[in-house]
Amino acid sequence: MADHEHISCQEVVELVTDYLDQSLPPDDASLFEQHINFCDGCDWYLDQMRTTISTVGRITEEEVPPETRKKLLTAFREWKRT
Amino acid sequence: MNAYKFLRSDGTGVFTRFAWPLPGDEPGAWVETTPDPCRAGIHACRPSDLPYWAGRALYEIELSGDIVAHETKVVAPRGRLLRRIDAWNDAFRATYTRHCADRAHEIARENGIERWEEVIEPSIPEGPALLGFVAARIAEEAGGVDAYHAERARQADWLAAQLGLV
Amino acid sequence: MTEAGLQDRTAAEETELLARLRAGDERAFETLVERHYPTMLAVARHYVKTRAVAEEVVQEAWLGVLKGIDRFEGRSSLRTWILRILVNTAKTRGAREARSVPFASLAPEDDEPAVEPGRFRGADDPFPGHWRAYPGNWQRQPDEALADRETLDVVLATIHELPAPQRIVITMRDIQGCDSEEVCEALDVSEGNQRVLLHRARSKVRSALEGHLDG
Repeated sequence: MADHEHISCQEVVELVTDYLDQSLPPDDASLFEQHINFCDGCDWYLDQMRTTISTVGRITEEEVPPETRKKLLTAFREWKRT
Repeated sequence: MNAYKFLRSDGTGVFTRFAWPLPGDEPGAWVETTPDPCRAGIHACRPSDLPYWAGRALYEIELSGDIVAHETKVVAPRGRLLRRIDAWNDAFRATYTRHCADRAHEIARENGIERWEEVIEPSIPEGPALLGFVAARIAEEAGGVDAYHAERARQADWLAAQLGLV
Repeated sequence: MTEAGLQDRTAAEETELLARLRAGDERAFETLVERHYPTMLAVARHYVKTRAVAEEVVQEAWLGVLKGIDRFEGRSSLRTWILRILVNTAKTRGAREARSVPFASLAPEDDEPAVEPGRFRGADDPFPGHWRAYPGNWQRQPDEALADRETLDVVLATIHELPAPQRIVITMRDIQGCDSEEVCEALDVSEGNQRVLLHRARSKVRSALEGHLDG
């Protein structure tokens, strides 16, 4: 990407994850931000991605099966005793 | 060193949404960042950088500490907003947008790159950042990467003259 | 809250849980188990053949955690340390079972664009690579639309249909809040590959959400 002075929207959507992880090299991050600054479409896409991540974050996960829970508690009480 | 910084209309950072202490009669409070030359730090524009980052609100900023120069910005560990550049208002943004659009048409016509004509006017509602890019992008189609930067420099000169920047 | 703030809060909570655990607090143990179970199961599942065996691996790993808890020095996060024990247990078990599919298949194979290429202008257009039509502005969506049960179900269903490596990574990163390093260690994958998997998973979920919200 260093050859280019700008990146396209098509490239932006592939770089979003790197950008959010702060793993883009500084020059590329700068080009990314310049693009977001002038392109409403990609600004909204970035926002969509952030929203996606926070929505995923709302998922509550599978429960510990009762059998497993019982076994583990037993093991814990054993361990406590020793 | 003094430089310039674009913020959102509500005084927050464009990418960080950090709420900047805004200047009134006095400069805003100093903002410190942890030193990390590649990432963290306060980003600001020299006059030549303004076209790349055109935003909603423009401020003059005083920077201190070790200032690192990058291609289209400077980064410093400390900064405070000195004053808002009131001349950069919605009316001016519209004027600048129109200026860039006219330049875009001019470059397209001069170089016989008609296919870009169709995107110029429809881009206007998106404002100065986009039109500045479009004009420079058309220049690049005509004359390569150097022409892109030359057009950006032209934009910067125009802005500096219009806004009375040093 | 910033991401850094969230991680700090998690670290403080884990310190407290650790202290209570060492003091023999059963509730602290239960909390830890509940908190880490889904990730541990998903990761174990990656190394062994069946879910049943994965469950056994998780239980065995917890025994290992209890045995070693007094020696835990806090140089890594508690979760990282627990996951390391889990991975070692799973690998040992997986090797004994001679699991045939190598988990190096976590390396992404073909290209998988985040957005269909047809949504961008072609090379002969002005503005090549630019959106043909902009994606929706979700700031304009009512808050309820993003928080309701239907939306979460769409997200859940999409995640369930992901290829296992993508599913594990997005679960660990975006549901469990693990950082890159923890994922790479747990799955024995490079940071770059981990990020590609995360990218593809998130792109699919975004696309599904878009279909649901924008109709």
